[in-house]
Amino acid sequence: MMSSKAHSSNNIANARRTVQQLRIEASIERIKVSKACADLMSYCSEHARSDPLLMGIPASDNPFKDKKPCTIL
Amino acid sequence: VLNFKYRGSPLIPEMATQEVQLNETLAHLKTESETLKSKLEEERAKLHDVELHQVAEKVEGLGQFVMKTRRTLKGHGNKVLCMDWCKDKRRIVSSSQDGKVIVWDAFTTNKEHAVTMPCTWVMACAYAPSGCAVACGGLDNKCSVYPLSLDKNENLAAKKKSVAMHTNYLSACSFTNSDMQILTSSGDGTCALWDVESGQLLQSFHGHAADVLCLDLAPSETGNTFVSGGCDKKANVWDMRSGQCIQSFETHESDINSVRYYPSGDAFASGSDDATCRLYDLRADREVAIYSKESIIFGVSSVDFSLSGRLLFGGYNDYTINVWDVLKGTRVSILFGHENRVSTLRVSPDGTAFSTGSWDHTLRVCDDCYFLSNLTTLQPRVTFLVTSCNVCCFSLFFFFLSDLGLRMRTQRMKW
Repeated sequence: MMSSKAHSSNNIANARRTVQQLRIEASIERIKVSKACADLMSYCSEHARSDPLLMGIPASDNPFKDKKPCTIL
Repeated sequence: VLNFKYRGSPLIPEMATQEVQLNETLAHLKTESETLKSKLEEERAKLHDVELHQVAEKVEGLGQFVMKTRRTLKGHGNKVLCMDWCKDKRRIVSSSQDGKVIVWDAFTTNKEHAVTMPCTWVMACAYAPSGCAVACGGLDNKCSVYPLSLDKNENLAAKKKSVAMHTNYLSACSFTNSDMQILTSSGDGTCALWDVESGQLLQSFHGHAADVLCLDLAPSETGNTFVSGGCDKKANVWDMRSGQCIQSFETHESDINSVRYYPSGDAFASGSDDATCRLYDLRADREVAIYSKESIIFGVSSVDFSLSGRLLFGGYNDYTINVWDVLKGTRVSILFGHENRVSTLRVSPDGTAFSTGSWDHTLRVCDDCYFLSNLTTLQPRVTFLVTSCNVCCFSLFFFFLSDLGLRMRTQRMKW
């Protein structure tokens, strides 16, 4: 059975850790959401052409497509 | 403020004073903690000038997608819990509740290797970057590495290497950039980094208040961090070298089952039992999008991005896969096919397909039905081919009609 003093010390250690963690998180540098979103959007558009699930790829290049006699129809 | 509440009565007056001092410090720390939390919220809110879908209004919409199942992998005797792609874009490793780990060739659907683990519920599996080994674990609280031999008859279990040891179940594992290190997450509330060769613990990550359910490593260009999600509803971003938690996000309303980095490494998505997927931007340090619908009430088990980050795939407990437009926040496709929960989902390394594993004992490989979903964005040569085909058909039709008309006129003249 822990003495009440040891129990309080544990609580204090935990509380100290929480405060330290919060200090670290509060102090990081942040950018505006508008800027962050603009960057996400430009990454999407830069890489859209080479995204097979987004653009689709010709049946001849897709190893998972079943070979069909006519790829146009 | 002095706090006089304490358990038991101290025998010596000095102990009473110390007790009171400790309680003062505790109260003081708690106040500071509350102050810091509000400051954090304030700082984050200051930069919240706009929503992602507002910024994305000027982006062209995607229209509806038609996804099709191309392969069904049958062979597991019970629920499929986890899967991973090999870097060669054709092999898949999967693990199941029945204790089996299977390596498949997804092109041919052949089983290349099978291992029976000493435990059931193999909740985690991963392919090594070299393609020469797989890691797996679950209720055995361990993560073991099996080198894959070219000889199909060789007993893989004989070469098994135990790497990680947790004090509760293994929920996820991932090799880092090489076959030499493995990152694990566990029901014991911690994540850990291990050296494969020696089994030595290199770094441990403490901070979650409950089971850690998932993890994902940042794309190699963005440095040594990873994100984890847990039953404490938190997603934490960690520095792999120091073991420090550098950012924490707590906006989900239930367990976070899956986390996945956006391809640029500047953001990550999460899927939760609260039936939503969310996008968190690391540089803005906040949630920037929620992917949800009133009609979707079942939890998300697994999420992954397409190569450009424009599409987010989510596997749900209502047996479906929902595909979201990451920028606009709308759903662009829904896939049916599995006969039970979708438990795991990964996009292939080259982005041509995605694979899902389910409690219905099967895995499926799906892709984008090219022709139907891209009528507005056809590649030029196919557009040319389709147009010329149409022109030919119409010309033939007109010739046929005029020929028929001529014949009829000739017929009438004969009469």
